[in-house]
Amino acid sequence: MTKASSTKVKDTSAKVLFIVCACLSILAVFGIICYILAASIPAFREVGFFQFLFGTRWNHNTDTYGILAMLCSTLVVTVLAVILGGVIGVFTAIFMVFWCPDRFHLRYSGPNKFVQKMVAWLNKINLRTIFDQIIKLLAGIPSVIYGYFGIIVLVQGGLVYMDPNYRGYGVLATCIVLAIMIIPTITSLTKNALEAVPAQYFEGALAMGNTKAQAVFRVVFPAARSGIISALILGIGRAVGETMAVQMVAGGMVNFPTGLFIPICPLTVKINMEMGEVVPGSLHESALMATGFVLLVLVLIITLSVNFVPKEFKGKKGTRVLQGGGENVVYRKKGLIPEILKYCGMVCAGIVVISLAAIILFICINGIPNISWNFLFGGDGYEGHSLAPAFLTTFYVIIFTLIIALPLGIGAAIFLNEYAKPGSKFVKVIRTFIDTLSGVPSIVFGLFGYLLFVQIFGRSVFAGAFTMVLVILPTIIRSTEEALRAVPMELREASYGLGASKIRTIFKVVLPSAFPGIATAIVLSVGRIISESAALIYTAGMMAVASSSVSSAIDPTNAGSTLTVFMYSFFAEGLAYEEAYATAFVLLVITFVLNLIVYFIQKRVKKKR
Amino acid sequence: MNIFKKKEAAQTEGTAEESKQKKEKKPVTLDIFDFSGDNAITVRDLDLFYGEFQALKKINMEMPKYQITAMIGPSGCGKSTLIKTLNRMNDLVEGCRVVGEIIIGGLNIYDRGVDLSALRKNVGMVFQKPNPFPMSVYDNIAYGPRTFGIRKKGELDEIVERSLKQAAMWDELKDRLNKSALGLSGGQQQRLCIARALAVGPQILLMDEPTSALDPISTGKIEELCEELKKDVTIVMVTHNMQQAARISDKTAFFLLGEMIEMGDTEQVFSEPKHPETERYITGRFG
Repeated sequence: MTKASSTKVKDTSAKVLFIVCACLSILAVFGIICYILAASIPAFREVGFFQFLFGTRWNHNTDTYGILAMLCSTLVVTVLAVILGGVIGVFTAIFMVFWCPDRFHLRYSGPNKFVQKMVAWLNKINLRTIFDQIIKLLAGIPSVIYGYFGIIVLVQGGLVYMDPNYRGYGVLATCIVLAIMIIPTITSLTKNALEAVPAQYFEGALAMGNTKAQAVFRVVFPAARSGIISALILGIGRAVGETMAVQMVAGGMVNFPTGLFIPICPLTVKINMEMGEVVPGSLHESALMATGFVLLVLVLIITLSVNFVPKEFKGKKGTRVLQGGGENVVYRKKGLIPEILKYCGMVCAGIVVISLAAIILFICINGIPNISWNFLFGGDGYEGHSLAPAFLTTFYVIIFTLIIALPLGIGAAIFLNEYAKPGSKFVKVIRTFIDTLSGVPSIVFGLFGYLLFVQIFGRSVFAGAFTMVLVILPTIIRSTEEALRAVPMELREASYGLGASKIRTIFKVVLPSAFPGIATAIVLSVGRIISESAALIYTAGMMAVASSSVSSAIDPTNAGSTLTVFMYSFFAEGLAYEEAYATAFVLLVITFVLNLIVYFIQKRVKKKR
Repeated sequence: MNIFKKKEAAQTEGTAEESKQKKEKKPVTLDIFDFSGDNAITVRDLDLFYGEFQALKKINMEMPKYQITAMIGPSGCGKSTLIKTLNRMNDLVEGCRVVGEIIIGGLNIYDRGVDLSALRKNVGMVFQKPNPFPMSVYDNIAYGPRTFGIRKKGELDEIVERSLKQAAMWDELKDRLNKSALGLSGGQQQRLCIARALAVGPQILLMDEPTSALDPISTGKIEELCEELKKDVTIVMVTHNMQQAARISDKTAFFLLGEMIEMGDTEQVFSEPKHPETERYITGRFG
């Protein structure tokens, strides 16, 4: 009797706990909005809201704040980047789904044994998987590395010669870097949308005498329209919020974007440039918060607008009055445009592969020669720069973030998948907030962390970790939820059938069989934490390269730079390019290894099923 | 061994692709077929393989013009496979290999250099599950003509009207031409698919179990429609429904395990089948 009632109490209290976890994302979004709004009120009051929005000058020495030029820069750069990246991304996805061959079909009948083996080996490679991994790798590369690539290769290696003023940075450089950065998002989402189109549409078009290209571009592509639009919108959100890479190639001067080589200063860049030197409590600080608030509102509008993309085809309005009277109809062979579009797909896919190859080559060539044992792990005794403190800080941030975020994220996922009624309003609201949270730019997370966690813990690893919890929460919830959904209902029924309580079923049956999915979530989160920089600079801190030491980094209540922040400070201080390249190489290797781990976990799961 | 198989598959794919590309370079007329003979389709010594597995064995049959030929047989007997070879939809299946001849309008459609677009324009297909495109009714029907270069509104309107009338749907749909085709009922969707196939003026219509996903009333409508349509087109139909074959077809072919056991006038096949297996199948189904 008592046992039964205690189980009941346990079940109910567990349910309440899970609900609390799920509501946390709502709290987080509101918290971010409220804190940043509250901090920006002084600026809005002193400067005047419209003066702030439409003023064209920004000078913190005279306390004049107007963001119009920066807002325009952000918008123009985003639009151009989404056009460029959107076209390339969508066409790459089309190529991947419809034309990417499974394997090489190389033939070699010569006598050389070695070549024969090589050919056989090459023919075994699954090209689609490789392409998939290329996109994932591009998505995982930290933005600081994109920034380096942009400034060194793109700007100094190419654009500088096209710029009449021999600078090279500015609008065009920013657009190109942003375009490369949003391609993975757009490609993978477009790919999902295209794959979700029923195969019957494709077959139906072929059966009417369409060529493959005609069927793809006239039926399948329009049918995937809503998914592709969502992909583009998310790409826009990503481009608006990008900070570090943009900062390195934009030029950082407040100008209206009137030409391709005008140095500009998008909203994110302004915040990032001046937050470091801001006097706490000043109007300047409030003005930067207000800039962050404008950015946040912009991104919220963009992310939320995804919900309004019509999911299904709606017929055009108005009725068409038929008037017969066509003469004898002649059917001709047509279809040149789709054929051309097909080749566009191939070219775009080629561009993506080449960009990745260029980035990897650039980092490897410059980075590998500068790797040494002492550089990686040399302690305080080593005279030169060493990554050891950064490794330590990164490790701490990862551990503390995961300790906090995992239970919360898994709890929320359990509520969404095991307790909530699917499709209920409450679930929809929570989902919307999770999506919103995942769309918030990392610099805004940084501002929030600065306002809340830094006040509590001081600038420290703890403040950084708490901020990162919010950043990775959506990732954890989503991947865990996916894993839970894949657990067959029969398993749960079997457990209930034996008289197990719900909570016991979840912990003993459901969670263990969802473990690979949760492991994937952990690895993805680690990747996100490692590549993050904008959210960490004002929370965990950015140490001057010279003053970072293992003895200081060993204590998590101290401030410290993670790897990406460390790499950024090499750039910001303009000191040691060799070390920056070497750090980039280390980051690249870590990203690659993490991707590989995810790949193998997922492959194993697939095999089991 | 494994690699070998894949190479083979690659080769057949390769030739199909190559021949496609070759044709697209020349300006082609789509009327390469000559349907003046008595038989719309002649199949000669057809073998079909999926990799190692032989799905069709030495099929020989003739399908007369302006008649309905029904293909019956238990699941997995190869009748759907056969109907898909008639407009080369099997090209989509990896590892599918065809030996033998299928002669349509005087041409062996498996010859190198046969234009797939021209073939499929002349040999339309209706699938088991209705598959209207996610567009309006009008755009669904105008889809085929548009891809064959017809852009003038007047011409398109005429084609849409004619095809819908041919499919006996004009009165039902004339006021909802601009509504999404996905909003129609299953039976309407299937008839719309028939109208869509008719819009490019095919000589032959292939139907792969066109009524198996529909209710009896819609099925009846489609059967009526077939009777009506055979004035203008030759129909080849796969069906699981024995009564349907008996009701509407002129010729019936019975398949078992990849072989054609018997083919003849429908009345004869159903009343006095020559083959004991045919009899067993038919009576088994009826009794």
